[in-house]
Amino acid sequence: MARFSLSLCLLFSVLTLDAQNKGGLKIHFVHPVGDYQMLQLDSGFVFNQKDSMVIHSLRYYISDIKLFQNNLEVYSEINGYHLIDLSDPSSLYIELKLIKGIHYDEISFNLGIDSATNTAGALGGALDPSKGMYWSWQSGYINLKLEGKSNVSPQFGHQFQYHLGGYLYPNLAIQNIRLKTNRKLGSELNIAFDLEQWLLQLPFNVQQHIMSPSKNAVQISIAAAKAFKVWDAYKN
Amino acid sequence: MGRLQKLSFVFLFCLLISVLAFIKTEEFTVPKNWPVPAYNFKNNPLNASCIALGRQLFYDPLLSKDNTISCANCHLQYTAFTHVDHALSHGINDSIGTRNAPALMNLAWQSNFMWDGAINHLDVQALAPISHASEMGETLGNVLQKLRTKQKYRTLFFKAYHDSSITGEQTLKAISQFMLTLVSSNSKYDSVKRQQSKFTSQEKRGYQLFKTFCNKCHNEPLFSTYEFANIGLPISKTLNDSGRLRLRITQNANDAFKFKIPSLRNVEFSYPYMHDGRFKKLSEVINHYTQGIQRSATLAPQLEKPIVLSSNEKVDLIAFLMTLTDKRFLFNPAFGYPK
Repeated sequence: MARFSLSLCLLFSVLTLDAQNKGGLKIHFVHPVGDYQMLQLDSGFVFNQKDSMVIHSLRYYISDIKLFQNNLEVYSEINGYHLIDLSDPSSLYIELKLIKGIHYDEISFNLGIDSATNTAGALGGALDPSKGMYWSWQSGYINLKLEGKSNVSPQFGHQFQYHLGGYLYPNLAIQNIRLKTNRKLGSELNIAFDLEQWLLQLPFNVQQHIMSPSKNAVQISIAAAKAFKVWDAYKN
Repeated sequence: MGRLQKLSFVFLFCLLISVLAFIKTEEFTVPKNWPVPAYNFKNNPLNASCIALGRQLFYDPLLSKDNTISCANCHLQYTAFTHVDHALSHGINDSIGTRNAPALMNLAWQSNFMWDGAINHLDVQALAPISHASEMGETLGNVLQKLRTKQKYRTLFFKAYHDSSITGEQTLKAISQFMLTLVSSNSKYDSVKRQQSKFTSQEKRGYQLFKTFCNKCHNEPLFSTYEFANIGLPISKTLNDSGRLRLRITQNANDAFKFKIPSLRNVEFSYPYMHDGRFKKLSEVINHYTQGIQRSATLAPQLEKPIVLSSNEKVDLIAFLMTLTDKRFLFNPAFGYPK
C-alpha cells in the first residue's frame, strides 16, 4: 500500500510538473534503495545483492537552501531548517516561495546544522530539542540518524545505530551539497538520497554504533552527502 | 494649545510610560562592577511569568521518568543549589551518578556547563539531567506529553508565552529564566566591597592570602574564571574520571583531568567539594593544595610552585571564605519551592 501511494505521489508530481508555475518550488526527497525501489521503514530488503537489512528510522536535517543561475545566487532561504523524517511523509516535501519566473540551474543545501545554530541555546520548530535530534549529554544536533538491523551486524538483534553530528573542528559533520538541476524552471524538484550507494559504505560489520562526534562520523557524513542526486537525472 | 490640553498631554504621556513600564520585560540587574553576562538575554528576555513557570518546572518531579525526582532533589536552595552531604548525586531508582552536583548560581556569567563543559548553553543544560539514566531517566518529548495533560501547565505556559502548545524550546527557556535569576551578590565580601561593612582583621589576613594563592583561578567578583583546570587530585581508581578529556568532549590530551573551576561563593554551604565530592570540609580542600597535589603533565601552572600555609594562615583563609556566604541568596523566598 505504502509503495502504491508512493508511486502515486511520484506520478502526481510528474503530472503537476511545470503546471503551476506560480513562483513556488516544491522539493521532494526520495529514498531509493535499489533500482526503482524506495525505502520503506520497518520492511526488510536485500542490499548489496546478499545482505538483508531493515531500516527502522531515517531522519536528517536539510538547511540553508540556495538556488543558483549561472553561478549567481538567485535565492537563499532565511532560517530554513527542515527535519526530513521517513516516518512522516509530509516532512519529505520542502516548499520554497520564489519570485515568479525565477530561473535556476543549481541547488545547494546543507546536510546538517551549522555550528552557530549548534551553540544558540534552545530553538523551536524543526530545531526543537524535543524532536530527538539533539544530544543531551554533550550539546549539539544530530545531523543524521539511521537505525535498523543488518544481518552482518554482530550486535544483539543485529542492530545498528548511526547518530551523525559534531559541530566543532576537526569533527565537523555538516556537509554542503550542490547539485546541477539541469532544468531552468519548474515547480517541483525531486532529490534522491541514494541509500543503496550510501549503505554500501557503512561499517555494519565493524562499527555498529556511532553516537558521538568522531572522525568516522565525518567520513560517513561525507559519504551520505555524495549520495544526494537530482532524481530526474538519476532515473535516466 | 490651551493649558488644559497641555496638561492632558502630559497626563497621557505619563500614563503611556507607566503602562510601558508595566508590560516591559524584567531587567536583569548586573551587580555593580561585575562583568557583562555571557547569556544573551535578547533571545530569551526575562519576564515574570516565564520565571514563575521555570520555577514550577524546577521543583516538579514530573520531569523524571517515574515522577519522583525534580531538579531541586540535587540542587537545594539552602546549600547554594547543590546536593548537600552527597559526594555523588543520586537520581531515579536510587541510582548513583559519577559526579557531584554543582552549585547553581550566577549562571548568566557562564557559557559552558557541567564539570567537563560538555554543555554549550544554559538553555540546553537541563536536557542532560532530564535524560541521564542515573538522574531523571526521561526524554524531553515525554516531559512535554506529561505537561500538556496538566491544566496548571497549560495555564502557566499561556501566561508565559500566550500559547499553550508547550514546546521544548519554551520549556527549556523557562527553566533557564528561573536559573538566571539565581544571582548571589550579597555576601559580606560584597558589602565590604560596597563599603557597607568591614572585614575583621582575621578576614582581612585571609583575603590577602586568597589574593596571593587563589585569585588566579577563583577570581573576583565571580570567584571563578569558569575555565578548566587540573588541580592535581589523585585519580580515583573506581571512577577513573579524566574530566574534560572524556573521549567525547574535547578528545585533546592537553585536557586530561581538567574540570571546571567552581565559584567559591557560598562555599561554606556547598560541601562536599570537588567533582566527585571527595572532601567534606574546607580544611581538607586547603590541605590538598598545600600537601596533596599530584604532579602530571596537565597540572595547572598556578600550582607548579608549592603553596605553603601555616595552620593559623589556613584558619584565616577559611575565615575569609566564610565571608562569601550570601544568606539573602540562600534564603530568598523567590527561589524556594513555589507556593
